[in-house]
Amino acid sequence: MDVFLQTLVSGVLIGGIYALIGIGMTLIMGVMHIINLAHGQLMMVAMYITFVLYQYLGLDPYVSLFIAMPALFLLGAVIQKLFLNPLLKVDSILPENQVLMTVGIGMVLTEIVRIIFGSDYKSVTTSYSGSVMYLGDIAFNTPMVVAFGIALALTAGLFYFLLRTDLGKSVRATAQNKEAARLMGVNAERITVLTFGIGAGLVAAAGTLLLPIFYLFPDIGGHFTLKAFVITILGGLGSTVGAIFGGVVLGIAESFGATYLSMDLKDVVGMVIFLLVLIFLPGGLKRLTKI
Amino acid sequence: MKRLLTMTLACAVGLAMLSFLGCSSEQKTEKAEKAEKAVVAAPAGDTVTVGIILPLSGGQAKFGEVEKKSFDMALDEINTAGGINGKKLVFMYEDDTGRPDVGRSAAEKLINKDKVVMLGGGYSSSVTFAVAGVAQQNRLPFLINTGSADKITEQGWEYIFRLNPPASEYPKAVESFLTEVVKPKSAAILFENSNFGTSSSKEFNETCQRLGIEVVLLEGYEHGGVDFKPLLVKVKEKNPDIVYMVSYLMDASLLMKQSKELQIMPKAFIGGGAGFTLPEFIENTGSAGNAVFSATLWYQTLPYPGAKEYYDKFVKLYDGPTEYHGAEAYAAAFVIADTLKRAKSFSAEDIRQALAETDMTTVFGPVKFKAYDTKTNQNDVATYMVQWIDGNLELVWPETHASKKYMYPIDWAAMWGK
Repeated sequence: MDVFLQTLVSGVLIGGIYALIGIGMTLIMGVMHIINLAHGQLMMVAMYITFVLYQYLGLDPYVSLFIAMPALFLLGAVIQKLFLNPLLKVDSILPENQVLMTVGIGMVLTEIVRIIFGSDYKSVTTSYSGSVMYLGDIAFNTPMVVAFGIALALTAGLFYFLLRTDLGKSVRATAQNKEAARLMGVNAERITVLTFGIGAGLVAAAGTLLLPIFYLFPDIGGHFTLKAFVITILGGLGSTVGAIFGGVVLGIAESFGATYLSMDLKDVVGMVIFLLVLIFLPGGLKRLTKI
Repeated sequence: MKRLLTMTLACAVGLAMLSFLGCSSEQKTEKAEKAEKAVVAAPAGDTVTVGIILPLSGGQAKFGEVEKKSFDMALDEINTAGGINGKKLVFMYEDDTGRPDVGRSAAEKLINKDKVVMLGGGYSSSVTFAVAGVAQQNRLPFLINTGSADKITEQGWEYIFRLNPPASEYPKAVESFLTEVVKPKSAAILFENSNFGTSSSKEFNETCQRLGIEVVLLEGYEHGGVDFKPLLVKVKEKNPDIVYMVSYLMDASLLMKQSKELQIMPKAFIGGGAGFTLPEFIENTGSAGNAVFSATLWYQTLPYPGAKEYYDKFVKLYDGPTEYHGAEAYAAAFVIADTLKRAKSFSAEDIRQALAETDMTTVFGPVKFKAYDTKTNQNDVATYMVQWIDGNLELVWPETHASKKYMYPIDWAAMWGK
């Protein structure tokens, strides 16, 4: 029983962070209809910002959230404004050239970081990195629990923004029908810039929260881009609620796969679910939630 | 104007794709070229160039860096001492990024374009195996200093030589430590599912069976995981006497940190080399890494001529410690220099001949390439065991060479505390 519970706890906790990673990509997917393949790389940049703040200014990663998130918001907005939006106006032989552009941006970010920091593994070891809370025999890694809580809070904040504010409604309007939104006086271009910024800010939070327990190196982005992609598909392209479910489902599936099948097959389990969803539930998990 | 730009961009992307596809056809023409090149020309001018393939970026860059620094240090010493019979030795580094396909093309570039006289380096087993294949195909000698999967020297490849022992022999010293000190009844074996991890764990599994130790868990994992708890929770459930792990650096740190979180307390944690001996391991793990044992191939206090000097010089020059990977590279550089000095000419055949006749002592111990069991051109190396004691890596086994008495039995509860 302990094994089962511990596995479930691990899965849910990591799932919360996955959800935060996936939700940003989903938001971008929903509004711009492109897969942002630089998503993990943006997260990597946020992790390096946090790392630098910790290493040279001694700033706690949780405090760095307030710097890393706005910084990545700006970076995301700049990317959308200067690199992606101009592509919309250009005829091209490939319809998805914005997606190609994100691949390029991802590579450039990775290499810039590599030039500055080298390929070394870096890690941030805080006083609480290894701290654990016990409930019976089940171990809860404290930073993971905190990360999960912050992820929940950020998601709630995002929902409030999307459902209750004018700006958020404009974002949803743009996602539903860009042309109609434009006719209603929404500045769609500004909304795309804003959305990309928010997406980048959210993944920045995920990166920063992960840092006390994980490590970083320039190539770490690709791994998480893949995870975000799987979550986005799982959740049903563009559905924020679906992305949360997708993230938690992926976390739990990986965790159980590792315990009851083999850790070797951890990624395989994720991919199998991914394929099953594509085949039997093409709309993703949001089909089940009806939201 | 904009349309023109997009067109150019599209063309560029197209070209990039083509060049990827083109690789395979290029290989074919290279084969034809190689036939002409078979009579390798003496290197131009007064330099002799040797290609060194190491992971200088990517996940294994830390190891590549230690090795490159050691190669550079040795190169400097060799050239100061007169180079290769008056000619200056040059190491041309190529980055394999830890990926076999990149390693392969790096080897092809060094052999066909740069026309190096031989190859050295080779860190991860998977990359080394790919590079060795290319070297053998092109009939150019390749001295491996770290890549350790057994199969690399089991192919009967006469141009491939290996300075370090095969992965299956890494736990030799561990074996005697187990039978004489720990006397465990059960073991859990965790390994990264790479060439190196699989090979080492398979051998350790057989060792356990031979010693009558019950293996209660034998499981691989994919490198780069965030959360190892699903794996470790199984270890905890089985409660083995020892936990044996074969991992690279960051996984090794995470495994230990999370073992501490789950309060897994076997009689001993033993690492199978690689990640467990780097100074970064203890920096990352802190108290969770203390008292962890690891197999190793070298330690600075071993009575090999120059070992201590190498260690001290490295620390002075680069302001940081080195360990067995660095010693392997440093020794390999001297074996390369010694070989080239003895070779009748710089033709691949003469160098191979000279390499096969190598019989010298290095900081890494005596080097002599032999054929034994199913292996060929394999150097036979003694193995040792180290333990992290109070933040320092100490040689603890065999006791005759120990720098400090091993810490055993270990009171985890007291050490981890809190």
